[in-house]
Amino acid sequence: MTTVDTARRRASGDIDEILRYELLESNGPKGAPSGDPILTVRDLRVSFNTEAGVVRAVRGVNFDLWRGRTLAIVGESGSGKSVTALSVIGLLDDNARVSGSVRLAGEELVGKSDEDMSKMRGSRISMVFQDPLSALTPMFTIGDQIAEALRIHHPEMSADAVRSRCIELLGLVGITRPETRLSSFPHEFSGGMRQRVVIAIAIANDPDIIIADEPTTALDVTIQAQIMDVLKVAQRETGAAVVLITHDLGVVAGIADDVMVMYAGEAVERASVDTLYARPSHPYTMGLLGAVPQPHVNIDRRLVPIKGNPPSLAAIPAGCPFSPRCPMAHDACRAEVPSLRAIAPEEGHLVSCHEMERVRDGRLTYSDVYPGLETRPPSWARTPRSERPVVLEVTDLVKTFQTKEGGFWRRRHSTVTAVDHVSFSIHEGETLALVGESGSGKSTTLLQIMDLVVPEGGTIAVLGRDTRDLKSSAERRAVRRDLQIIFQDPMSSLDPRMPIYDVLAEPLRAQGWERSKINARIGELMRLVGINADYVDRFPTQFSGGQRQRIAIARALATNPRLLLLDEPIASLDVSIQAGIINLLEDLQAQLKLSYLFVAHDLAVIRHISDTVAVMHDGKIVEFGDTDEVFEHPRDPYTRALLSAIPIPDPPLERGRRRYVYRDGELVLADEGIPVA
Amino acid sequence: MTSYMKYVVKRVANYVVMIFIATSLTYLLAASFLNARSNYESRTPRPPQASIEQSLDAANLNDKTPLWERYTRWLGGVVQGDWGVSPTGRPVASELAGRIGNSVKLLAISAVLSVVIGVSLGVYTAQRQYMWQDRALSGMASFLLVVPTVVLAILIVFFAIDINNALPVKIFYVTGLSSYSGDNIFLAFLDFLQHITLPTLVLTIISAVGYHLNQRTYLLDEMHADYVRTARAKGLTKRQAIRKHALRASLIPTSVGVAFSIAGIFTGAVMTEKIFAVHGLGEYFINCINNNDVNGAVAVAAFSGVCTLAGALLADLFAVALDPRIRMS
Repeated sequence: MTTVDTARRRASGDIDEILRYELLESNGPKGAPSGDPILTVRDLRVSFNTEAGVVRAVRGVNFDLWRGRTLAIVGESGSGKSVTALSVIGLLDDNARVSGSVRLAGEELVGKSDEDMSKMRGSRISMVFQDPLSALTPMFTIGDQIAEALRIHHPEMSADAVRSRCIELLGLVGITRPETRLSSFPHEFSGGMRQRVVIAIAIANDPDIIIADEPTTALDVTIQAQIMDVLKVAQRETGAAVVLITHDLGVVAGIADDVMVMYAGEAVERASVDTLYARPSHPYTMGLLGAVPQPHVNIDRRLVPIKGNPPSLAAIPAGCPFSPRCPMAHDACRAEVPSLRAIAPEEGHLVSCHEMERVRDGRLTYSDVYPGLETRPPSWARTPRSERPVVLEVTDLVKTFQTKEGGFWRRRHSTVTAVDHVSFSIHEGETLALVGESGSGKSTTLLQIMDLVVPEGGTIAVLGRDTRDLKSSAERRAVRRDLQIIFQDPMSSLDPRMPIYDVLAEPLRAQGWERSKINARIGELMRLVGINADYVDRFPTQFSGGQRQRIAIARALATNPRLLLLDEPIASLDVSIQAGIINLLEDLQAQLKLSYLFVAHDLAVIRHISDTVAVMHDGKIVEFGDTDEVFEHPRDPYTRALLSAIPIPDPPLERGRRRYVYRDGELVLADEGIPVA
Repeated sequence: MTSYMKYVVKRVANYVVMIFIATSLTYLLAASFLNARSNYESRTPRPPQASIEQSLDAANLNDKTPLWERYTRWLGGVVQGDWGVSPTGRPVASELAGRIGNSVKLLAISAVLSVVIGVSLGVYTAQRQYMWQDRALSGMASFLLVVPTVVLAILIVFFAIDINNALPVKIFYVTGLSSYSGDNIFLAFLDFLQHITLPTLVLTIISAVGYHLNQRTYLLDEMHADYVRTARAKGLTKRQAIRKHALRASLIPTSVGVAFSIAGIFTGAVMTEKIFAVHGLGEYFINCINNNDVNGAVAVAAFSGVCTLAGALLADLFAVALDPRIRMS
């Protein structure tokens, strides 16, 4: 403990010396910052008293913000990035203890009362939140909510002035017909439009700092691209310093100037965006970048899985907090806390790692630090996919929903076609990805197949057996054995009151297995998904999200299926955990000759994992083909718009890309001005 | 506003059907189980058989008449606005009118007071969650919530009698609604206040604690909503954000309770009326069942049904007025 404290004290004494390097950087997109920083954060520490003990969410964070520049704070859940942001704007819970210094143009903010901070909030520092669906008050109109931000800081503004400013703001964030939209309520707007309104509120008083906390995480990829463009406009209009908090390294590449990577409440690496992506130097940053699939190139390598899980902030490991997960860690790493040091002073590149010299001098990259990333295609893969037997054949599938309107007496019916003549087939050992935005019909298609329904129109045939011909429940059960599903949220898809043994035994019992065989099979399954077989008597809540998803996969594999339906299986996981699951799915496919029907919205993951891809839009498959072919030469305008919206984790490339917007069957270049909604 | 009207008309039409079915079922049940014949047979001296039959026929309560025939006769009367007579021959409708008036006098004040006091305390304690004010007030509310009405009423009556005995003048009356018979309007009002204070106190405490605890929960739910944080990020202080944003949303579920208690003003309070000898609708309902008064009991049930559904309609209208997400369709 004392060595830890001494190390900290030494680190905080050297802070200004270290942060001097920020000013020297020369290769960022905007060059070195000039003038005085608008915000300086020094040795910021935030802790909470909870039932689990003292949670030290932020442990000595330092950074500066300059007007007109964007700092991205990157980290996984529990890294302390959001708490850092909330302490800058003074929106932490009452039980938070904050120490250190946050100075806005020289004025100390730490220790200010809620009343005093409220004068800063919305006028000098403003914030854009993660979930636009719940960020606006449902009872008030859009106009009232924007006007409130103006009136609270400028009570002297006339009603006309407020109104015209509100219209101007809505126009600025790309909402068409702002005059009429002022009297709309939030529920009449889509998620993307609501996020635009939140941004309009944030820039209403020309703030010095805009904090955007995961502003696009809940949104579809095309909407995400639009919102990032709106944020750029917001920064241009206000000249504010922007803090972008995210776990998505693709988004960072296109918008950030500087990046700070956080882990367990500390900054572990800090550099300009170009430097960080070109030469990630902390093993954690390397892992993060290696864990992200590259949507723009065809690389046949495995993703970097970082073993283990981020630490609990109530029990942070001794020494370097990353040491338990770090492949380079040695005894010194576990004993002593590293501090930020300049790895490349001329670029303002700072790293907090005991192995900094080794990384720098050896020019180590993630393939050196995380070995074993080369792929070994299985022998059966030599047979071309088209010559293998078909495991799933869907032809002209149609599914409609009746919507009811009106009350008891007079009811109006209308029909929505969720799946509109969808056809595809999957061969043995093949992965087909169904891609589309929310409401495209991809999940409905999946559920139709899972339920083995006799479709409204068309046919579903699993291993050559048409669902129409399944007469008895025994026949249905036989088909069910070959077809299993894995859901998005392993938290809710596993019964919390069932030990893992029962979770895995259930499908086997349903298929009439003997008890002795079940035991052997469960041990086998646990090994297959990489979980210690001794843990069978534990409950799902005792596992982390990634482990739970492994258990869900084991359950799906219990009956030796030939085809797995995967419904957004990694969407709720952290990046470093996602990579492990993707690798596991690839291994299982190679080992067991499985076929996957993979539903996802993350196009980068799809490029990485799938052989063929079907792009869905409005219930129809608008493009179907070989994954590389579709990604490199998309034909359909919707596919092209979708692909142009994927953020690419390569800063110079991402900054130079042109985005297209799909509108009424046509492709529009989104270069001029901002996309409107 | 036309959609508003169409919605109301549609709802009312639904309710008329529901009330008709509910009231008919009540009649059939009451007429099968309440035996008015025993009222006459137990008299001493026992009236002659022919006279019993005649009285029963006159009140349409004769169990020798087939149930269906009695029902259609009763229904025929109801359609013309005649709710029948009690076994003693008094028309039910006139009895009902006076008693509704008494119930309204008894309940109106406490309904307003309990909403105002309960909701205010709920908001006050929610903003001070886990502080001593919250612990004290919410703890007391939870305690009062589990005290039965009868116990609370009797305790208050004892307490009031002690005060009366300790003072030279009588301050509280514990039965009825009035005992002054002069013409002085001021004295009559004073007399009314002396009577109404204790039952109002009981009723107010009983329903205020419910509003308090519910409102506290609703507001705590909304206080941590994302949009309250957005409001604070705009520059509102925590208090302002709660008052302007969270409070409005938390009042939506409360308004439902308010709507039903407005309807409840007319249906009376059974226990409190009985204890304070207020001749309101609640007391009448009990009396009807005791006296095998089929027509009276059914009339009260029908009226309560109308009030409850009016409350439901009111609750819907409140929700529509407060919450723009609810569309009228």
